Amino acid sequence: MHELLNDPIDVLVSFKDNRVFPHTMRWNQKDYKIKDVNLVHSAREGSKRVFFFSVSDSNNYFKLKLDPEVLEWRLVELYTDG
Amino acid sequence: MDKIIIHIDMNSYFASVEQQANPLLRGKPIGITGKHGSIAMSGQRIKVNTDGVHDRSVITTASMEAKLLGVKTAMSTWEARKICPSLILWPGDPHKYSEITERFNKIYNDFTTKVEAFSVDESFLDVTEEAGDYFTATFIAQMIRARLRAECGEHITASIGIGPNKLMAKLASESMKPNGLTVTRPEDTLKLLDSRELDDLCGIGPRIKQRLNMLGVETFKQLREFPLDSLESEFNRYGTWLHEAAHGRDSNVIQSSTVHGLRGMSTETPKSYGHSYTLPRNTHDKLIVKRYLLGLADKVAWRMRRDNFAACRITAFIRYGDFSSHAEQRTFYIPTNDGHKLFQVAWQIIGNCFAGEPVRLVGLSASKLTHKPGQQSLFKKEQKIQSVLPALDSLQHRYGTGVWTRGSLVKTHFKQRSSGFHFDHLV
Ligand SMILES: [Mg+2]
Repeated sequence: MHELLNDPIDVLVSFKDNRVFPHTMRWNQKDYKIKDVNLVHSAREGSKRVFFFSVSDSNNYFKLKLDPEVLEWRLVELYTDG
Repeated sequence: MDKIIIHIDMNSYFASVEQQANPLLRGKPIGITGKHGSIAMSGQRIKVNTDGVHDRSVITTASMEAKLLGVKTAMSTWEARKICPSLILWPGDPHKYSEITERFNKIYNDFTTKVEAFSVDESFLDVTEEAGDYFTATFIAQMIRARLRAECGEHITASIGIGPNKLMAKLASESMKPNGLTVTRPEDTLKLLDSRELDDLCGIGPRIKQRLNMLGVETFKQLREFPLDSLESEFNRYGTWLHEAAHGRDSNVIQSSTVHGLRGMSTETPKSYGHSYTLPRNTHDKLIVKRYLLGLADKVAWRMRRDNFAACRITAFIRYGDFSSHAEQRTFYIPTNDGHKLFQVAWQIIGNCFAGEPVRLVGLSASKLTHKPGQQSLFKKEQKIQSVLPALDSLQHRYGTGVWTRGSLVKTHFKQRSSGFHFDHLV
């Protein structure tokens, strides 16, 4: 099942070497522990740059969007096996 | 003089990027489709159609697993699903791919300044001076592979070929997929050529192969032995190229230019700007076709103005529901980069031959590019439009495309997509 969404989420992160590492995210009152950060890329949205984190736990793929100007995280894509 | 050229070609590029991003897709047959899904609003959930039913898109890239099961690039999603029912269809994400493309070209630039981004997933590197010999060139290739792994991800793999010119380097890289490294020194080029089919060589298509076959030429060895003057009388200047190519020779140099590249990445100066669009539904409606064409013309014009180009030739094309198509071009003396002018010319072409048959795709491209802006128009109205265009463009730069649209376009909505033939999201 592959879904596109745009839900504000809470993400617990750490910073290291000027980089952001998401660890846990809370979506729909549920916590998901992020196992792997597979790919990080950015894209222009008008004049600003936003960042996309393609992450996963063992059952789900999540694409998270970070707007660095307002430090807001959103879940924009979800894929679950089967 | 022989050079040392490295050709690097990403394997099943778009599909590999998706498999890098999403571990649940690894090891599975996936097909990247042309159209990108819509964007969800806050709180909305849109289910992406992964089974291809009702989808009229084509496969732009098949993963290695899908290729093994018979799925090919440019196959319709419908046909691909028939061949491979377990195929997962995944909408392309052009922004992601172009950023990764930028990323690997930057890595290449750390090894040599002579980098030519040949396509979205292929580049040529001239390492003649940096390497000095083939042993060092191989070492450079291995260092590049290690950096690709670290900075793009281990699932984004590349085939690498090293040779004395672009043609041979590319033929070498294509001999081992995925993840190959094939070295062809000048003394090995004939052996490489003789192990391949005529149309394996970049520059020999199926039609040329057929014509060569009719002349009794089936192999590169036979092509080498074919008299040069007969080749030239059959193919003109292309005959000379064929003769040279059969000897493993190619005088093409690396075309690196950073000035007009894709967002700062080095590419050759564009030869044309084009956009095409597959309509969401086939239409008989002239007005709808007209609106899409105007939208496409505006996008092409905007890209030309951004890069400071104007065009003297417009090619417009239309494809009908039965897949028949029509393309025609017009050339004019005064270069233009005004979308409305481009549209007018394109519509002259398309409007003339379109009698209400169902239309599937429209497109246009602008070529014969020049840096010289067109002379100031004598007509007041045109002058006004010319002075307003730069202002509109600065809006577009700041807020992304889609900020301004002409009044007549308001109802026309373009879906973002990555097409295998026109990597055209860079509006
Ligand atoms: Mg490739």
